[in-house]
Amino acid sequence: MGEGKPLSKKKNILFCVISIVLLVILLFPLFWILVTSLKTEQEIFQNPPTLFPHILNLASYAAQIETGDFNMFRSFANSLVISTGATLIAVVLAVPASYAIAKYHFKGRNAMLLGFLVTQMLPVSVLLTPMFIMMKNLGLYNTWGAAILADATIGIPFSVLILKNYFSSIPKELEEAAYIDGCNRFTAFLRILIPIAKPGVVVCAIFSFLYAWGDLAYGMTFIIDQKKRPMTAGIFNFMGQYGTKWSYLTAFAVVSIIPVALIFIFMQKYIVSGMTSGAVKG
Amino acid sequence: MKAIKKFFRYDNIGLLFALPAFLYMLIFVGYPIASNLVLSFQNVTVKNLVNGEKLFVGLQNYIELLQDSVFKRSFINTLVFTVACLVFQFLIGFALAVFFNKKFRIAKPVRGLLMMPWMIPITVTALIFKFIFATDVGILNYFLKSMSLIKENIEWLTTPSTAMVALVCANVWIGIPFNMILISTGLTTIPQELYESAQVDGVTKVQSFWRITIPMLRPTIESVLILGFIYTFKVYDLVYVMTGGGPVNTTHMLSTYSYKLSFEMFKYSKGSAVANILLVVLLIVGSFYLKITMKGEEN
Repeated sequence: MGEGKPLSKKKNILFCVISIVLLVILLFPLFWILVTSLKTEQEIFQNPPTLFPHILNLASYAAQIETGDFNMFRSFANSLVISTGATLIAVVLAVPASYAIAKYHFKGRNAMLLGFLVTQMLPVSVLLTPMFIMMKNLGLYNTWGAAILADATIGIPFSVLILKNYFSSIPKELEEAAYIDGCNRFTAFLRILIPIAKPGVVVCAIFSFLYAWGDLAYGMTFIIDQKKRPMTAGIFNFMGQYGTKWSYLTAFAVVSIIPVALIFIFMQKYIVSGMTSGAVKG
Repeated sequence: MKAIKKFFRYDNIGLLFALPAFLYMLIFVGYPIASNLVLSFQNVTVKNLVNGEKLFVGLQNYIELLQDSVFKRSFINTLVFTVACLVFQFLIGFALAVFFNKKFRIAKPVRGLLMMPWMIPITVTALIFKFIFATDVGILNYFLKSMSLIKENIEWLTTPSTAMVALVCANVWIGIPFNMILISTGLTTIPQELYESAQVDGVTKVQSFWRITIPMLRPTIESVLILGFIYTFKVYDLVYVMTGGGPVNTTHMLSTYSYKLSFEMFKYSKGSAVANILLVVLLIVGSFYLKITMKGEEN
């Protein structure tokens, strides 16, 4: 596809311009909620709409800290706790499992691999009711724990499948050298293999976090107390109650994108590598 | 003791590493799947959900669904939605992948930025598109009006057919980066020499696209479409937040209808039955993907 061939200067400029136009069109929705969150409610309903806020209005952000039931910074903290918890579980369990699948042909290996592949396809609806009953029986209903345990089930299979590739690409000789130096299988795994597979571990952590951060179904179903609910459920509730208060809603949305944007800015290369090695959103 | 030691001497030591993750998934995913299946053959409502006697009713829930017009509509909606999304996100994603595969200066950073829609929480995407498609305050109606394409504001989300259009638009926006990045990766694996020798043979660019690019990309295209189908067919958050299945149950998907039956109408068994039907469709389509992946695994 003309790849490898350097472009003429004229074409180079033309393509740059086209790509900027594409970027503006495709990312317009994000720009639009950001500017809307900075407008007054009056200006939002103004016709014709303004492309940039005439009066910079930060009241929509400030108001959320005060209003008791829908404190967006509290639900932000809830989301942070839930996503971090789910990420920890997913990484701690997936790292050894992926190593095993990559390096050993143990009994039941293929069945296990198939199991992880299938769980990636499951619709959340199949799991919700039984998990709901389970969380009630475990006494976890309406706690962060319920959402953490449930969200980890999205991160684990993804992480196992991604990391498996990282571990397979590590040459056997490295491991064997470690054995000669006196490592056993466990210490070799901890001291030699995990450090080498670190980029893969980072990819898994990022995606497990993002999956948990984006979850609505589990957080909304297993936690009913608004004070403990994650951000997504908070936004959903808010929409039900103040359906047309767009200044507040867009501010809420912008705050929930902040961690995603930060991850994006600082760890872009990991994201692309995660997506191309079979990442799929559940 | 000796037997155990012998069992774990070589490859089977892998079991010790893999078991914790596997058990976790067995408890929190495996058991729920089985339990959901049982649930769909019972008569569980809010009264006997946690305690109380659960009667087996056989296939009654499934038979009732066949006569349920909302269920039929949800099934058709899910299919239409999936096909529409796949077509647009694949074509746009493909075009963008080919474009960004050209070696111009800012190709890589711009392509990177285009990943954003795929990463943000779907609840937020739903909110954004609800705002864009809003009747009075929505920018889309304003834009169409100023271009004189429409005279009156369209009530996008409260009219069944246009609500579907809005849902597809939002989902395509999420799906484009995924399609683009996978196809981009596929493109880079095609050896450059193929194009060069084709050029020597006097093959035009259009011909080499159909005769080299498309056949070489076939495995990529297959997995993009199958994965796209799976992840679109089970759509939940987007529809639940944007329309909630409304107006009057016309935009329900299988997943949202299942949720409504279980957690709004408290007909847990019937909701489970819908979820199982959804699962069966996913497994049938997914089995093609599993076949490809597991085959690669054995080599």
